[in-house]
Amino acid sequence: MSKQASSMCPAFGAIRNLLRMEDAMPIVISSGDGCMYGHTFVAHFYVANRPIFSPGVSSQMWAKGSVFDELKAMVIEMAEKHQPSLIPICSLCVSDTVGLPFELLPKQIGNTEIVYVPLPAYSVHTHAKAKDIVVDSLVWRLPSQRKARAGVNLIGEVFPSDPIKIDEVLRRIGSHVNTHVPGPRWADYVAMVDGSLNAPLHPFYSESVKRMKMKQGLPFVEGAPVGISGTYSWIKSVGEALKLNPAVVEAVASEERDKVEAAIADYPLNGLTFMVAGYEGHEFLLVRLLIEAGAKVPYLSTSVNTNPLAREEEAWLRERGCTVLYGANFDNEIGALEDHPYDCVIGTTPLCAHAKELGIPSIYYTNAMATRSLMFAEGASDVLSLVMSTYRSKARYDKIARFFSDDGVPKRTYTSWAPTIDITEHLLANAAVAPHEAAVPIAATER
Amino acid sequence: MALKQELPTDVVNTPIRKRVTDLDHAGGDTGAMQVFASLKDGNVVLDGPVGCHVMPAVAVINYTDSVPYLQNVTCSELSENEVTIAGTLPVLKEKVARANVPGRQVFIVSTPVSELIGAAWTTTDEDVKGSPLFFNAQSLDDDEWMARDRSLLFLWQNRDHFVRPESAGPVPACARPSVNIVGPTYGCFNSYSDLAEIKRIVAGIGADINVVYPFEASSYDTSRLSDARATIVMYQEFGKSLAREVGLPTFYAPFGLEDTTTFVTDLGAALGLEAEAAAFVASEKKTTLAAWHDIWRSTHSDFFANSPIAIVAPPSYKDGLERYLGDELGLPISYSAYRTGPQSAPSEDVRAALCDASPSPMLIFGSINERMIIAQEKLPSRFYQASFPGAVVRRATGTPYVGYAGAVWLLQIVCEILFDTLFANLPTSYAPPQKALKPTAEIMRDGQDAAADGGKGQNSVIAWTDDAKALSEKTVKRVPFFVRVSVTKKLRAEAEKLARERGGPVDVAIVEEITAAYRPR
Repeated sequence: MSKQASSMCPAFGAIRNLLRMEDAMPIVISSGDGCMYGHTFVAHFYVANRPIFSPGVSSQMWAKGSVFDELKAMVIEMAEKHQPSLIPICSLCVSDTVGLPFELLPKQIGNTEIVYVPLPAYSVHTHAKAKDIVVDSLVWRLPSQRKARAGVNLIGEVFPSDPIKIDEVLRRIGSHVNTHVPGPRWADYVAMVDGSLNAPLHPFYSESVKRMKMKQGLPFVEGAPVGISGTYSWIKSVGEALKLNPAVVEAVASEERDKVEAAIADYPLNGLTFMVAGYEGHEFLLVRLLIEAGAKVPYLSTSVNTNPLAREEEAWLRERGCTVLYGANFDNEIGALEDHPYDCVIGTTPLCAHAKELGIPSIYYTNAMATRSLMFAEGASDVLSLVMSTYRSKARYDKIARFFSDDGVPKRTYTSWAPTIDITEHLLANAAVAPHEAAVPIAATER
Repeated sequence: MALKQELPTDVVNTPIRKRVTDLDHAGGDTGAMQVFASLKDGNVVLDGPVGCHVMPAVAVINYTDSVPYLQNVTCSELSENEVTIAGTLPVLKEKVARANVPGRQVFIVSTPVSELIGAAWTTTDEDVKGSPLFFNAQSLDDDEWMARDRSLLFLWQNRDHFVRPESAGPVPACARPSVNIVGPTYGCFNSYSDLAEIKRIVAGIGADINVVYPFEASSYDTSRLSDARATIVMYQEFGKSLAREVGLPTFYAPFGLEDTTTFVTDLGAALGLEAEAAAFVASEKKTTLAAWHDIWRSTHSDFFANSPIAIVAPPSYKDGLERYLGDELGLPISYSAYRTGPQSAPSEDVRAALCDASPSPMLIFGSINERMIIAQEKLPSRFYQASFPGAVVRRATGTPYVGYAGAVWLLQIVCEILFDTLFANLPTSYAPPQKALKPTAEIMRDGQDAAADGGKGQNSVIAWTDDAKALSEKTVKRVPFFVRVSVTKKLRAEAEKLARERGGPVDVAIVEEITAAYRPR
């Protein structure tokens, strides 16, 4: 059994956000060709059509100390030639273990800021943590004094239209969105000192907001406007934190809550059981939505570690019968397939592979959810309609699972040295794997 | 082409340069993992942090091999405690113990971090057959190909260590002369199709497959490699050292008609199947290659001499495609470069060469790195994948690059891209025809004074400034020859239309406006 959370190299969480910045030229100090190849491969698939730079690394170069000299030369050359706003220095496992003297790098060259971002994957552990480190490293660079402040800083990757919707709602209660990070420009981060409230929309930005509270004196509110009660309480919290007119805030919060409620009513998931597992850190929000739509979600796993910002959200889920597993890994997730008869799985790649093997409709959390809005009424409709259509293809999954099984009863092939469990019988008993007739979509969905 | 019993040359690392941009090969730990995990009974424990496991064995493998994740790979999950204080042995031991189940051979592979802190596997049971084996991947220095080559040699050197379980049944004996196929492993571009084609050829000449190693073998099959009469090494990037030690006549997977015919003939000779090999070639000409012959005899091939291509790939594919498409089909090779090994070209050189190539290649075979260059530099070239990195699905076995079937497939690709280029440059647009604004009589009436206009009226030829002409010529030269006429027509029509609207000659500004997409650097 693995002890640590399973995640694509945790450092990639940071690299992807930095590579998406239009005025930054990140340098990634690779730990070797395997490391660089992996990061380049996924970056060019998921993130950006742009080069990734590293000083060359070999055992001899580390021993001679020439890596740092080359790094410094690169930084100076890139700053002088391209004059980007920012050169983040992403230090991965080997460079961070060797301990390069990053303090000897210039902090500014011309208008270019050079910022060290420590990302030794063996201690960062998760994608989410790496994203927190980026925001923290960048914002920590900014001076602390600021007199006039207004508006809300949104922190966390969301669907592109989400900040616009949030801004619209905030204006109705007498505030606005000041800036949103991770953003495409250094100025988006610099603007954070002008805001009067931080709103980490994902719970894993805990270090960033804690340290901003310490250095900039900025308060923060938890949660996000997702789901019926989530939307209501988020708007209320912002109103209270900014001391806005309580009557106006109450009216807007109620109105938005009612809209979400109406949207959710279109997608009744009553009687369906979902499993959710991801490493993005916003799994909580999705589960909240599913539960409010009537689904049972007995199991949620996230690679994020326990976190003070998630405490309220977690309590809400636990009260509704959801077991929350932090720092989860593939073994936990795959093992947990046994515990309940699942109708649909929204999970990591390996988990989905096994669920599909059993004929359970499944989608990859990151690909499916990161491309959708979760917020307010529109987000709820969008996500729930995807979930519904996934569930409704049950017959197709079932048919393929039977085709690839020897005797027409789907069996899992998870037989490496990790726990060898044959859960087929259990699932059959619980009717998660339907008997031979094709699954019938629930009547409520036939609108 | 001396394919027969070619003396395997050494595998040489890609040089590590002072700076790295858009790397095109993985490191030693990845290469070794991809070899050991290919074995049916292999369990691999990487001695490293989770990222060194999940990145290659879950994230990347999903886009190179379309495998959801490698179930027989795990890692020691190094954390700060192991790296700075405890060392990796305690956590590694625990993981190895879990992986070391009956019927599985455990391979422990080092990673950059474990190598950096000097971790190694120490055990008292190394003489016990079937006990876990430690492989030093030298990931700080070796590239993936070198590591694959060394891992295969390592397996051969440890061939007596592996245990054949009773459940595996008696050692299979081949009735007919048999061959080994060494390579592919996980993470080799297009290998599923290439392997299928080589197996088809071997069967076609009446030989048996002894072992497909390591992809269809178990560790205990290693010692059986010497039972064959010849070895086919799929790719020259790795497997040579193993082939040399096994000591049988060695062949490399062939590209194109000529290579493949030599390969079939020589392989037949090495196996004592000369007549069968000759019969196979004869029958292929009427079956698999009938399509090739038809395409060759069609007008398609008329364009080859004017359709330059570029090839940027590891040595097997770069050399193979160059020989087949260049020498055999006669497509001009405007640029080619290795992306692995001592002669590998760094990314900046490839970028500069592709930008400077005139005419621009109609088609560039490469990895996602070249694809990005095309996009970023706005080259008019089409792209076709011939190498990793770059997400791709290549699991259908009908897309080989090697053998006779590969020759047909590649020919088809080139023709299709030719047609696609033609379509993209068709001079007529999809827009409805322009409206007739005046009756003919009116046009004629308006034209009465044309002669008196001194060449300034509606019938006049629009003048081009010298600069505009020069720029236009330069631009058109970068367009593949195949479509140059269409592009020239289009450019002239659009430029003159603009000039007429603006009431002046065609100047540089107008040409630039129209040719933005084709602008030379």
